[in-house]
Amino acid sequence: MGGSQQGSQSGSGRNFADDTLRPITIKQLIDSKPPYPDSDVTIDGLPAKQVTLVGQVRSVANQSINTTYRIDDGTGLIDARKWVDPDKPESSVQFAPDTYVRVFGRLTTFNGKQHIAAHYVRAIQDFNEVNYHLLEATYVHLMLTKGASAGGTDADGDSMFVDGGYGAGGGSGAAASDARLASCSADARTVFNFMANSPGHDTNISQIEAGTRMDSSTVSLAVQGLLDAGVIYTTDDDFTWAILDI
Amino acid sequence: MESIATPRITCAYLNSYVGKNVIIVGKVIQLRGEEAILDADGNITAHLNREAHLLAGNAAQIIGKVNPDLSVKVLTSMDLGTDVDYGLANTVVEISHQHRQLFAYD
Repeated sequence: MGGSQQGSQSGSGRNFADDTLRPITIKQLIDSKPPYPDSDVTIDGLPAKQVTLVGQVRSVANQSINTTYRIDDGTGLIDARKWVDPDKPESSVQFAPDTYVRVFGRLTTFNGKQHIAAHYVRAIQDFNEVNYHLLEATYVHLMLTKGASAGGTDADGDSMFVDGGYGAGGGSGAAASDARLASCSADARTVFNFMANSPGHDTNISQIEAGTRMDSSTVSLAVQGLLDAGVIYTTDDDFTWAILDI
Repeated sequence: MESIATPRITCAYLNSYVGKNVIIVGKVIQLRGEEAILDADGNITAHLNREAHLLAGNAAQIIGKVNPDLSVKVLTSMDLGTDVDYGLANTVVEISHQHRQLFAYD
């Protein structure tokens, strides 16, 4: 995903989908190994830069310019470093050991050691948020590895996730979001959704054109994207495809 | 960064974690000196330390080691007040055992 542009400010090749805020457990961070040095960490196959986690402060190390909290969420320990901004006195608020905190931050590697560069740390007022976070992390993990539930939890429309951030398509329900679609165009997702929701195993190009009201060249491009992503495969002839279930 | 898991458990999981450190969230049923009875989907006897400040009727989180007699030797404890959803806490325990890849090292 546009690796050559990483870290540059030009922004032309920047993939904003990578900047979605992922709720995670510390064990997921510990298990995530960058595929090569200085590359982005991926969790469940998608880059995870911005993360949020909930845990108890185990120790506090105070330096003049930053404070390092050792955070334990019951699945592992990781350091979260909060830089002190002299212009914002509230940024130097300290959290005592054993306090439950929510950390928003960016996963960073320094001297070969991973830590979280915290943008924001706040104490948790309502203990249920701890449990809520663990369920949310599990939900996002399952959504990315197994696909969204068919019109289940999202049906009430109060999902906090932005459609598209995880490669979700029209949000119309069944199989709309699949981690494998992350690199596909919007047209490709539309075609995929149509195929997922159409009866029968195979779908012919004429059915797709009629069903999605797109012209044949747009459909061909979208189908090519899906074939390249390995999401669908050719069946009876070159103009009939089926979704690869995994 | 350390790979130390402290699993969240309820009463039913005690015998799987003898000798290990665990996190238990439950309602304090009874306080008798340095011993407390916690309801986490079943009653658990907890041997408290001196620093414990629990209140009967309130929720509490204890982190401690499971003894062979299935009581828990508390290392740290925390009063959680009255607004804790016990059903939610028990569900999280079940979920964390169903999806071990997110929570535990095997």
